[in-house]
Amino acid sequence: MTAQESARAPSMIKISIQGVGRVFPPTSKRSRAVVALDGMSAEVFEQEIVGLLGPSGCGKTTLLNLIAGFDRQNEGEIIVAGRRVERPGPDRMMVFQLPALFAWLTVWQNVVFGPRERGEDARDYGPRAHALLAAVGLSGREHDFPYQLSGGMKQRVQLARALLNRPEVLLMDEPFGALDSQTRSQMQELLLEVWGLYHPTILLVTHDAEEALFLCHRIYVMDCHGGIQESLTVPFPFPRKFDLIGSTEFAHLKYTLLRALRSEEERPDCERQFGKNLN
Amino acid sequence: MSSRRRAIAGKASFSLISWLTVAIILLVWYLATAKGLVSGFVLPSPASLWSEFCVLVVKGYAGKSLSEHVLASLFRTFTGLGLGIAVGVPVGLLMGSSRVANAILGPIFSFLRPIPPIAFIPLMILYFGIGEFSKVALIFLAALYYVVLNTSAGVRTVPQDLVRAGQNVGLTRVQLFSKVVFWAALPHIMTGVKTATAISWAIVVAAELIAAQAGLGFMVMDATTFFRVPNVYIGIIIIGLIGVMLEVVTLAIDRRLLHWMGK
Repeated sequence: MTAQESARAPSMIKISIQGVGRVFPPTSKRSRAVVALDGMSAEVFEQEIVGLLGPSGCGKTTLLNLIAGFDRQNEGEIIVAGRRVERPGPDRMMVFQLPALFAWLTVWQNVVFGPRERGEDARDYGPRAHALLAAVGLSGREHDFPYQLSGGMKQRVQLARALLNRPEVLLMDEPFGALDSQTRSQMQELLLEVWGLYHPTILLVTHDAEEALFLCHRIYVMDCHGGIQESLTVPFPFPRKFDLIGSTEFAHLKYTLLRALRSEEERPDCERQFGKNLN
Repeated sequence: MSSRRRAIAGKASFSLISWLTVAIILLVWYLATAKGLVSGFVLPSPASLWSEFCVLVVKGYAGKSLSEHVLASLFRTFTGLGLGIAVGVPVGLLMGSSRVANAILGPIFSFLRPIPPIAFIPLMILYFGIGEFSKVALIFLAALYYVVLNTSAGVRTVPQDLVRAGQNVGLTRVQLFSKVVFWAALPHIMTGVKTATAISWAIVVAAELIAAQAGLGFMVMDATTFFRVPNVYIGIIIIGLIGVMLEVVTLAIDRRLLHWMGK
């Protein structure tokens, strides 16, 4: 444990994952049950960006779905901001890999959807929504419909929509995975800028070691049995800029992470551990 | 020239081609009757049909004005169709989202699938007589069938993440249906509504052919019985033109409701 971690008080834990297991029953007589998560434990501290890095099919997204309350674990407990997770709720906002925007609503209506449907006061969420749209660089696009936006813009709308709900934690499921590499790199910088403004606690699922290193304070590398292989504290100070990825230390850490991922994927008992891609 | 302008010019020339088709059919019809190629009894000339049409407009048919016949048919169609949509959309949403509901209602709709709706006309007359109710009921059933099937299919295509995005902000079950699932399934629902509208119009005419005292189908059948051939043609032409108008209207509603698809 590093000095940075040990200095934190337990009250600052935002997400506590305690011995969580999730087994998917066989879908047919010929298939086997799939162990997606097994004795998984981890925590995420307040205002921290934590990466969940692992080979495809290692249960990363399963874990995110459990935290969001879309799915239920077979064993263990997940506690977010002191409350046990039992159902979906706006205290845990998900940013989906493929932009789950409501195509029939404008950018503005998408962003304010949550508070509006919950009957909250527009005088409260209205100005905040304007500020968030400005922060993600979408001022002036309020009246556009999703089909008029590029892939990167759609993800910005998702980010603004999620943050407007003032979540305890932001859950991001490979949010930039479907974007071209140039847009992806811009979006990564944008995410760090937005974090600098709002300091949300973020748990980010990715299979991209570079993305994890660039964005995260800490990285959990998952093993192929749905547990944690190792935890890494990323030493680079904030605010981080694009040039960071050109540094020697960055390259070295990236190598270490890729090495760990590769050794995991090459383990003989990992082969065909997963009947289907659960990622 | 911008590509947008070129596209508009292209559209205009296509509709010109369509109008040409209509003009050629009228011309061939005119020539065939004017040259005596077909007997005027079997196929009256355009001019004589027009004068018969004017008589029909002034005098009506079988004691009822032409507009009464048209409105009788339209009233039955829209009543049956409206009820079919009002019941079909909720039932379809339920069947699409609940496996239990689908298991309960599925066999009924699977059984109805291969049966043409007009096959139920005799039963409807047996159950409900030859009044309005039997025709409205028949159209209701046919519309219900198409709306339910398309709506439930539409619900099954709604991406899981979209539903989760709704659950995520804390929507109630009712809100999830009215604010997310319904809208996401709307393109499919509208396909059902468009099909149901076209079919309803076809069925109302068929039902009136068999038993009615008013309506365009009644007029065609009655005129056939009394060898009033021009009236048969006029009835058929009006049925066709109203069918086209219904399609234009439903298409316009469709575009309006689904503008956000960006097509």
